[in-house]
Amino acid sequence: MVQEEVAMTTSLVSLKNVSKNYETLTGEIIEAIKNVSFELYQGEVLGLVGPSGCGKSTILKMISGVETPSTGTIDQQKEEGENFIVGFIFQDSSLMRWRSVYDNIKLPLEVMGKKNVEKIAELIKTVNLTGFERAYPIELSGGMQRRVAIARALVHEPSVLLMDEPFTGVDEITKEILQTELNFVIRKLNVTAVLVTHDIEEAVFLADRVLVISDRPGTILQEVTVPLPKMREPVLRSEKKYLDCCVTIRERLNLLHPLRTRET
Amino acid sequence: MQASARKRRIVTSIRNRASAIAIFIIVIAVWQFVSGNEIIPRFLLPPPSAIVQEFFRSNVGWPDQIGATLREILFGFFFGTMGGLALAIMITESSLLRKTLLPYIVMTEALPKIAIAPLIYILLGFNDISRVIMVVLLSFFPIVLSTSTGLVDVDKNLVYLLKTLGAGEWQVFYKVRLPNATPNLFIGLRLGALGAVVGAVISEFVSSTTGLGFLIINAQNTFDTALAFAAFTLLGLLSLTLYGSIELAAYLLMPWYRKK
Repeated sequence: MVQEEVAMTTSLVSLKNVSKNYETLTGEIIEAIKNVSFELYQGEVLGLVGPSGCGKSTILKMISGVETPSTGTIDQQKEEGENFIVGFIFQDSSLMRWRSVYDNIKLPLEVMGKKNVEKIAELIKTVNLTGFERAYPIELSGGMQRRVAIARALVHEPSVLLMDEPFTGVDEITKEILQTELNFVIRKLNVTAVLVTHDIEEAVFLADRVLVISDRPGTILQEVTVPLPKMREPVLRSEKKYLDCCVTIRERLNLLHPLRTRET
Repeated sequence: MQASARKRRIVTSIRNRASAIAIFIIVIAVWQFVSGNEIIPRFLLPPPSAIVQEFFRSNVGWPDQIGATLREILFGFFFGTMGGLALAIMITESSLLRKTLLPYIVMTEALPKIAIAPLIYILLGFNDISRVIMVVLLSFFPIVLSTSTGLVDVDKNLVYLLKTLGAGEWQVFYKVRLPNATPNLFIGLRLGALGAVVGAVISEFVSSTTGLGFLIINAQNTFDTALAFAAFTLLGLLSLTLYGSIELAAYLLMPWYRKK
């Protein structure tokens, strides 16, 4: 418990007054996010919830280091001699169709020149894909493909796991099963993660804290702490604390406002 | 469950093959009847039996004729494939090369090959090199076009994923772009192989003393239509073999694609 508290106070990624502008093909400048500041603490799952196009994915790209902020700073805490490496789960699984399940999961190790292939078998077991090691993505169901993507994102033991609407397009029943499994895996491995989603229930079920983001340009409207244990069972979905969090976020996003609801 | 699915697949496969064979037999039988009974004059449309007899004519030297054409096709197709692949990679990896080379590639494809064949022979002489160049010209374009599409049309998330892991352009190329382009490459190879056969025949029409193309033009000049049809048949079989070999290679090399 004490160890957990210490971990939760160690900042792994720190965003200070970050803004990001894009230039469109017609030369117009689009302000994607504006003055966003937050800390990502070791061992926590941080949810970013907001409407489509509010710059949530842009924040992930900047944390990963592939994109840089237009203004402001992003500090990544690295252990001595270690690189800041991210694991990524995309909206669609984005698997390599020409690689088997095993080889898809192995990809990050190959790119990084790591040899710890025993981790692959371990993760295949954790995400319930035993027996499908040699199968190709085309032979798997949508849910199984998401599990491969989860294993691939974790195999190289990333500093931070970045999830960009990881269960978009999955049916509701499978989505709830996958959310429970994902929660189990990231809590078991004590992964620090950022979850971007427009699904309020998903954010509350998976995250320790949720940042509510406004319409473009994205700014942080509110921080909501989720008062639930780290290991979460499906039964939590009908608990008051869980439902209250969902309502708080909905209210902040103005989704409960009748006019707003009619407009959208 | 699996056994019954396999049985169903085998039955479907036999049914498909049986219908193809049945259609072939019917066509040959009608042809034999029409031509054998002179409904259409034999010198215009020789009957299948007369065409088969041509294969046993000793003065034609079929193995040499087939060998000459096959050699031109294989050499030309090999160089066409290598060149096509290299060009596809160059125009997708460098915008400067794309802008510089693409107009010439398109213009080369648009030129009527039968018209430029004499020019090639004047420039390079009446030799095997000229004939192979004709085959290259007819086979490389589909390979360039389809492979370059496969190299560009990749899942952007995969490229992004590799970059977050610290991969360079080379790793992105051989781990994502190249395998992604493999099905497109095989489509290009199939089209290119058929182009290679056409290229070999054109080159032999213009200048050659051997080969199936030479036999066809020679048979037309002497009204020996049975010989021409025999050469057509062999060209068709050569094309089918080449096409089938590429299909087989695709089947063996891309198990993930055949499971689609």
